[in-house]
Amino acid sequence: MTDATKVAAAASSRDPAVGLAAVASLRGLLESLEELQVTNARAQGWSWQQIADVLRVSRQAVHKKYRRFGF
Amino acid sequence: MFERFTERARTVVIAAQKQARERGADAIRSEHLLAALFDVPDNLAVTVLAALGVDRDLVESEIGKLRPDGRPTPDAEALATLGIDLDEVRRQVEEAFGPGALDRPRAASSRGWGGHIRFDRTAKKVLELGLREALLLKHNYIGTEHILLGMLHPATGAAHDMLVSHGVRQDATRILVEELVRGRRAG
Repeated sequence: MTDATKVAAAASSRDPAVGLAAVASLRGLLESLEELQVTNARAQGWSWQQIADVLRVSRQAVHKKYRRFGF
Repeated sequence: MFERFTERARTVVIAAQKQARERGADAIRSEHLLAALFDVPDNLAVTVLAALGVDRDLVESEIGKLRPDGRPTPDAEALATLGIDLDEVRRQVEEAFGPGALDRPRAASSRGWGGHIRFDRTAKKVLELGLREALLLKHNYIGTEHILLGMLHPATGAAHDMLVSHGVRQDATRILVEELVRGRRAG
C-alpha cells in the first residue's frame, strides 16, 4: 500500500499539470511571505535600501512593488 | 473612453467598485467586473452567460477561492508534492506574527478605506478589450456584452480564468452576442 502510494506520487510528479501547479502555489506562498517580511521590516524602521540589500534586488524594485501599501 | 458606454455598462463599472470595496480588495480587478455584471438588472452579458451555464453563484464560488488581493489561496496539496507542509509554514508564521498573518493581505489591512480605489491592470484590460470588441463587431457603443467579451482574453486574469474553466469560449460567445444583438434590433 505504502509502496503503491510512492509509485503513484513518483509517476504524478512527471505530470506537467502537477509540477506547474506546485510551482504556481510556491510562487503564491513566496509572495505572501515577502509581503509579510517587507511589512515587518518597514514597521521596524528599515529603509528600502536595507530591505533591498537583504532581498538582493534593487531599491527601486522593492519600493515600486510595495509603495502602494502606504508605508 | 466612457462616453460610448451604455447606461448599463457604466453601472457595471460603478458596481465593480462596490464589489471590490465590499470584498476588502485593494484594487478593482477583472473578477469584480465579472461579479458586477450580475448587479445590473436585465443586461445582455448576463443573458449570454446564462446561456453558457454561468450564473452568479458560480462566479461567487470562484471568487471565494481568491484572497482579497486576487491571488489564489495557496494549494496545500500542490505544495505537498514539493515536500512543503503548508500547515507547518502557517503555524510558524502565526507564531511570530499572529493568527491569520499568512492569509491576510497587507495592502487591505494597512490602508484606510473610503478613498479612491484604482482599477488594476486586469480591469483596465477588460475595458480596453471591450472597446476593441465593440469596434470589431462594428457596434457604435460599448455595452455589457462587450465588457463580457473583453474578459475572454488571457491578459484579463482571474475573470478570464474563471470563465474559461467553465467552458466559456471567446469565438462562441462572440457569435452568441452577435445573434442576440441582431435579434434585439430586429425585435
